[in-house]
Amino acid sequence: MRWFLALIAVTCASAQSLSLRRPAPQDTRPGVTAIDAFVEQHWREHSIKAPEPISGELFARRAYLDIWGIVPTPQQLNNFKSSPDRAALIDRLLADSRNYTEHWISFWNDLLRNDEGVVYHGERKSITTWLRKALEENLPYDRFISALINPAAQGDPEGFLIGVNWRGEVNASELPPMQAAQNSAQVFLGVNLKCNSCHDSFISKWKLKDAYGLASFFSDGPLELVRCDVKMGETAAPKFLFPELGSPAVGTSLADRRAAAARLFTSPENGRLPRTLVNRVWKRLVGRGLVEPVDDMSAKAWSDDLLDWLAADFADHGYDVKHLLRTIMTSRAYQSPAVDHASKPYVFTGPLVRRLTAEQFADSVASITGEWRVKQTGTAGAFVREWQVKSNPMTRALGRPIRDQVTTDRLDQPTTLQALELTNGVTLATALLRSSQRMLGELKAPPANLFDSGVVNAQRVPVDIDITGASKLWLLIEDSDSYDRTRVVAGWLDAELTGPAGTVKLADLVPKSPRRMIQPRKASPGEAITGPLSSRMIVDLGGKPFTRFRGAVAIDESCLISEINPRARFFVFREEPDPQLLVRVVGDPPAPVAWKASSLDQTVDMLYRHALARPPAPAETKVARSFFNGKLSADGLEDLLWAVFLSPEFQYIR
Amino acid sequence: MTREEHRIVQALDRRSFMRQSAAGILGALATGASRPMCGQSKPAATADTLILLWMAGGMAQTETFDPKAYTPFQAGLQSRRVLSSFEPIDTAVDNIKISKGLERVATIMDRATLVRTYQAGDLGFILHSRHQYHWHTGYAPPLSVAAPHIGAVIARTLGPKHPDVPAFVDIGQNMEIGAESDSIKAFHTAGFLGTEYGPFMVADPAEAVAAVRPPAHIPAERFRQRYERYRKLAEASPVMREGGSYQRDSLLKSVDNAHRLLLSPAGKAFDLSLESKEIYDRYNTGRFGLGCLLARRLTEAGARFIEVTTEYIPFRHWDTHENGHLRAERMKADIDAPISQLVRDLEERGLLNRTLIVLASEFGRDMMTEGKPDRPVKDQVNTQPEVMTDIKHYGMHRHFTEAGSVLLIGGGMKRGFLYGETANERPCSVTSKPVRIEDLHATIYRAMGIAPDLAYEVEKRPFHVTRDGKGKPIAELFA
Repeated sequence: MRWFLALIAVTCASAQSLSLRRPAPQDTRPGVTAIDAFVEQHWREHSIKAPEPISGELFARRAYLDIWGIVPTPQQLNNFKSSPDRAALIDRLLADSRNYTEHWISFWNDLLRNDEGVVYHGERKSITTWLRKALEENLPYDRFISALINPAAQGDPEGFLIGVNWRGEVNASELPPMQAAQNSAQVFLGVNLKCNSCHDSFISKWKLKDAYGLASFFSDGPLELVRCDVKMGETAAPKFLFPELGSPAVGTSLADRRAAAARLFTSPENGRLPRTLVNRVWKRLVGRGLVEPVDDMSAKAWSDDLLDWLAADFADHGYDVKHLLRTIMTSRAYQSPAVDHASKPYVFTGPLVRRLTAEQFADSVASITGEWRVKQTGTAGAFVREWQVKSNPMTRALGRPIRDQVTTDRLDQPTTLQALELTNGVTLATALLRSSQRMLGELKAPPANLFDSGVVNAQRVPVDIDITGASKLWLLIEDSDSYDRTRVVAGWLDAELTGPAGTVKLADLVPKSPRRMIQPRKASPGEAITGPLSSRMIVDLGGKPFTRFRGAVAIDESCLISEINPRARFFVFREEPDPQLLVRVVGDPPAPVAWKASSLDQTVDMLYRHALARPPAPAETKVARSFFNGKLSADGLEDLLWAVFLSPEFQYIR
Repeated sequence: MTREEHRIVQALDRRSFMRQSAAGILGALATGASRPMCGQSKPAATADTLILLWMAGGMAQTETFDPKAYTPFQAGLQSRRVLSSFEPIDTAVDNIKISKGLERVATIMDRATLVRTYQAGDLGFILHSRHQYHWHTGYAPPLSVAAPHIGAVIARTLGPKHPDVPAFVDIGQNMEIGAESDSIKAFHTAGFLGTEYGPFMVADPAEAVAAVRPPAHIPAERFRQRYERYRKLAEASPVMREGGSYQRDSLLKSVDNAHRLLLSPAGKAFDLSLESKEIYDRYNTGRFGLGCLLARRLTEAGARFIEVTTEYIPFRHWDTHENGHLRAERMKADIDAPISQLVRDLEERGLLNRTLIVLASEFGRDMMTEGKPDRPVKDQVNTQPEVMTDIKHYGMHRHFTEAGSVLLIGGGMKRGFLYGETANERPCSVTSKPVRIEDLHATIYRAMGIAPDLAYEVEKRPFHVTRDGKGKPIAELFA
């Protein structure tokens, strides 16, 4: 894409040097963190009185949401209140690598354009396995960057350099090496090369040659400069963005060039790397960057000293991201009451009010209601947090991005379409309907399947299951993202039921069902009872005491072409299945059920403590009771849950 | 609404603000995270509403609006001899012939401008969703910025016509369609403009009313009470005493807007059961037909941009990789009656003058050429023998980006007008007046009163609503 004449004034760049300064805080009294010393200085300059820190409850809610991405349970809140050491809570939360990873991975997915199961019929590769491990192990940030820039080892995240590609021809400015240059510069260094991927920028100092120079580190062969789709007959050579780092020998092979790039990005002299990251994390935790916009690190910070101190402290502590989180979160600056608006010109007066992200909202709701999303794997499923599965209409409405582009700043203003989705959208409505019943113990436990084929494509999967005592069987054929599910021929092959009285063909029990021969790939053909994908057949066993159901499931070989690409999943149940839970879910949910609804007042009390980190005031209890006709009921609870989840107090991090 | 704008709203007289309000109030304020930059010279609008009738999957132009010599099927027929598998028919305009199967549309061609020379982008190995992305945003992915759908640009720029009706309604497309779901989702979005301007999705028009009603299992009275109690609960929260105005109001306002829409009489526009059986039946050829009926009702109610699609699902509907003749016949049966009825109904209500209907597809089709004659691309059809033996070989099975047809009706366009010409012999290339997406978009924007060089700011750069702001409206098409 080209970016022609911009009618915007060039932002004034600060005369910041590339390498880090190490400013010393003026106030060195014990108990005053370095961050607060710089903030105090800022406040003195702007005649601002330091605010009182927020309450322990509000702090705990913030801390849980910022480290784990879910609200604390009433129990966790009580534990904290009985030993209200804020630094200790931060340490405890950071020490839980799994929860830390399951929250922060969305931040990195946004930056690195990584998502679950997204395909564009062009090359794209997930880096989830690597990213998850890197976060779980708290991989030092310089090594983290090296692996992304120079994925040389087995298991390294190649997907980052591959980028997002769509089938077909691609504009020169969006070829994978150019994408790699744009994204690594933007995300890691706060340099926007998008204008000058096509022509010299009109709004910054960056030239077309700079973009190609960086892209050349990631290109297999020489890149020819293309200015606005016109080839310039000139070849680019690897050249890093910052001449201050010198021009070390780069080598000729792609591997050498990537390795050279990794060294330049992570050079101790390259202060831009830690500055950019600490600024992003500051924004994530405090609502606004020290430098804004966070993708243009040439702009001036509201405190250059604080920025450089944080960056240097981060680098000096081995690029430890958890150390950075701890440093910011233990400051009084972080623990100040949230403010509504960023003043212009900006003066820091406290963190900005932040809205829960789509993932924080979905996971917090799930942790309260127990209604988690299910990820299907093999022949089982697991309750998982939102990031592990594809977005749904609710989380898309709440801002979970389509990660074609780098997302560094999710818009968090409430919109009408979001409110509509939360008010009458199927996702939340279904979850609340089920969870209100579950919390009251009224939701029937979903019946376990007797058979789950897993995803079937070319293979024939045998069925041989015990059905002793069943009076009916539910036979389901589900679609699992086939390309064209309407043309899939799938069925139950040579299926028969056996009992003391002998063997009966399935076909004889369902005389009206469609049947045909199915030829599985590399297996013998069989007579099959077929059904369209996403259909269910109820087989009445007519009171006969069958004990086994045998046969196989398969897809006809004729469907195994790319334009159909069949993917089906077969299930057998002996009771009416719960359509939300066909797979057998194994393992624990991401967070255990914290409490059950037993009485009306207890439910209101626990819901407030869990969702809002405080007990309800008497006036609130009174309104909350009005949702019920005097006694605890699923309808009333469903409506109350909705009212609490849509309240500003729940959705904002105050 | 950004926080800053929220502050401005606070400064307004609170009650007068509340009075106008509803679903689109935020849109009506014409504010958002990104601000308009250039393109402030607003052309005079000739249309207030846009209805896009999307022929998803690549509608064969020679089987619909650009018929060529007809060759009936017979076993042994050479594929290369077939230009059209339908006879041409007369229309209400002397010099315009269209294909058999579109008899009703033929009667309203005197209200239409027909463009026969739309040339889709050269994007290489063809992927429908990528071309659809290109058509709907004006840009081909991958992109360094999330491009907005044309409906989102219009919603962002103009807001809703009636505040209780969503500005941008998208009818007929399921988002989970298997393997191309992600690429379909990638452009059904307002992109960097923010979700406020994104599509209000109605997958099945027959059930559209569910989208503007309380959840099915919650009775109306309970729904009303739920909201009342919600307000009381929110009012009792310490946020109302301690929080700033943004915390106090922004979320409640959005929930309030949602409830206004859900409880507003304007929501009736979504309820097709309020139509007479006679009219309902005239439209009801299936989902697309009912989508046209819903589009008419939403136009009357005050939506700004409505897309009705025949629905993109790989290898289905207009995506005819084989058996093209029979399938085109069925597709035409689906669209013929509702399109002509839509035009007549809008005309009868005096709305056609200010409503622009655009019928378009991501590209055309041909039996022999994949891509453009001078730029063929990787073939995707392996069931097109040189000599046909089966009716399933008969039809337009290849993706043809050289020429496609676009229909523009009402909203200030000429009536009974033909624009552009393609050759009568294969490869049936464009012989005059090619139309590219940026110029087609510029024409549409110009009709809606939007300058083609309008740009929104993203990452301090301008994002133009037509490629680089260079789209030129086709003056000849305007009445």
